[in-house]
Amino acid sequence: MTTQQKLRSSRFGTIEVDESAVIEFPAGLIGLPGTHWALLSAGPESPFQWLHSLEQEDLALPVTSPWNFFPDYAVELSDADTERVGGEDPDAVEVLVTVRASSEPSEFSANLRAPIVIHEGRGYQVINEAADAPMRAPLGLERNADRAS
Amino acid sequence: VLIITRRAGEKLMIGDEIVVEILEIVGNQVRVGIQAPQSVRVYREEIWRAVKDENHASATDAPAALPAGPGRPS
Repeated sequence: MTTQQKLRSSRFGTIEVDESAVIEFPAGLIGLPGTHWALLSAGPESPFQWLHSLEQEDLALPVTSPWNFFPDYAVELSDADTERVGGEDPDAVEVLVTVRASSEPSEFSANLRAPIVIHEGRGYQVINEAADAPMRAPLGLERNADRAS
Repeated sequence: VLIITRRAGEKLMIGDEIVVEILEIVGNQVRVGIQAPQSVRVYREEIWRAVKDENHASATDAPAALPAGPGRPS
């Protein structure tokens, strides 16, 4: 039996989230309050998820797997961060990047410089040492107008 | 703010566990070595600030709903 946890959200109301979707960030996200977050789907076909605070109902960040949009993306961690994350094995960690969303899809961007690395239910926002990792990489979504035409 | 003068090779303690060592001074650059417990995160300030700003923007700019369909450019 899976345990559920209540999540209060200004976006989604009060919902039950599966314990497996809960991530503990021992050091939090850089500059944001709280240490417990849950990953929520943004729709069955969506490349995005919400990283939603379990502690603050109006705090949620859109995230995505970087490889949805950047097939060549690479993460290179410092020794200290590798040790902190506790997983040398790339297959054992999940990588997400925060997304800066906008009402205009063509303006969506992802933070490739500070990805979120998740290992065994614990998450860490780390600094990617790889050379080509901008803080605002455009996702290249099509414009609303293009879609309409 | 505490201002202290140090020479190369000298150290500072922050609490009992964080050691900051001035390794080398060359021209207008200083190389600093930091020993800190794993739980203490050390960042270059400008990177820390940029990530903080980006996290805030991600949390506040997000529309009520995200694109539901596949996001890859066609």
